[in-house]
Amino acid sequence: MMAKWIALIGLVLMIKVANAEEQFPEVQIVEPYIDMRTGPAQGYPIFHVAEKGEWISILKRRTSWFKVRTVKGKEGWVSLDELRLTVSSVGEPVQIEDGSFSSYQQRDFELGASGGSLDGVPSLSVFGAWVVTENIAAEVSYSQALGDFSESQFGLLSVTHTTFPEWRISPYFRLGFGQIKTKPRASLVQSGEETRTNDLLVGGIGVRYYLAQNFVVKFEYQNLLALTERDENEELEEWKLGFAVFF
Amino acid sequence: METRICSFFLGAILIGASNFAFAQADNRASVQNVIEPDLKRRDINESNIDTEDFEIGLFAGVISIEDFSSSSLVGARLTYHVNEDFFVEANYGQATAGETSFELLSGGAPFLTEEEREYSFYDLSLGYNLNGEVFFSPNWVFNSATYFTVGAGSTEFGGDNRFTVSVGAGYRLLLTDYFAVHVGVKDHIFNSEIIGEEKTTHNIEYGLGATFFF
Repeated sequence: MMAKWIALIGLVLMIKVANAEEQFPEVQIVEPYIDMRTGPAQGYPIFHVAEKGEWISILKRRTSWFKVRTVKGKEGWVSLDELRLTVSSVGEPVQIEDGSFSSYQQRDFELGASGGSLDGVPSLSVFGAWVVTENIAAEVSYSQALGDFSESQFGLLSVTHTTFPEWRISPYFRLGFGQIKTKPRASLVQSGEETRTNDLLVGGIGVRYYLAQNFVVKFEYQNLLALTERDENEELEEWKLGFAVFF
Repeated sequence: METRICSFFLGAILIGASNFAFAQADNRASVQNVIEPDLKRRDINESNIDTEDFEIGLFAGVISIEDFSSSSLVGARLTYHVNEDFFVEANYGQATAGETSFELLSGGAPFLTEEEREYSFYDLSLGYNLNGEVFFSPNWVFNSATYFTVGAGSTEFGGDNRFTVSVGAGYRLLLTDYFAVHVGVKDHIFNSEIIGEEKTTHNIEYGLGATFFF
């Protein structure tokens, strides 16, 4: 028992030392002053101004706000716009990307969610995409559609082609495949309905709009074909509106 | 016995290492002081700033499941702060529904099996912050936010998944930059035919939560 406590205390000391040793990046103020606020939002009051020539350490970032510490130990929040007016140790202006359209064009991943209607029934989806080239992305998605008579869940693996990646609003096309599981409502199980799993093919057309910062809005129409064992395949239509964030 | 010996050695090694690190830090500080202070500055770039836009945490509370009395609820939450005003969040929670008044009074057959009484939900919501500060004393000030959320998701109850719209309001008190406590109310609205006619049910949740920003 004792040894465990010693191990724990040792670990805590290690972490503390590691923290104390951490050297934060620093920038120098070249404008007459910059405002420091009590919190990471425009509405928080300015309680201190750091003057021209002062060096400030950047402790952390939250959305587009930076927590900074002056040499005298004052801590407060500075906006990205003000931080851009500072310089590095070699006198170069500080450059930090804030989800801009150009950073969107260089994204690697997208994560998002959407809601819509699958054959008149509310549906919800989550998706993640890996952006392979500026035009092509590979996407995995999972959706759930909840109706009065049945519940459908489907997973899709698809490829999208964005036709005009350099436009803020651009159409895109989708081709993919997956599986759909349709489960009748509990009250219908007694009447002989049963859960079915079918392969699924999907084609889609949509529009994506780069909204601001790291937000993208997507509107899409999908045509889904469930390959059933019955004589006819089942065709489903889905409309959806969603958003994505990118990294 | 063996584990005890192991953990003792681990402890010894850790203490040794931390002392060594201390000594190094001391050396460096004194050397720097003698020669020139602030000799080396670390420049800023995207990768060496700790960005804390995500918030993860747990919540617990009470949910009043319409017709099925109130139950305790536990859940988890993941939030992404898009900017100072807006955030998106995913919630998951579960509870076990109680009995309807009819079941209690009549003593008859229960409406639902034990398994069907398991109540669980998820939702994806968009939230809006009204940022603020609270002053417990002139020098004891915390940042806070009152927020409103609206979202959609699914509730599993009575053997079915039900499309659910949720509307909520909450209060986030940031005790440190990265640790917050929450108190909130949320209404989960879905259609249910469990006790006969289909109707829209309101299932109100009260909860306390704790979250970390990372």
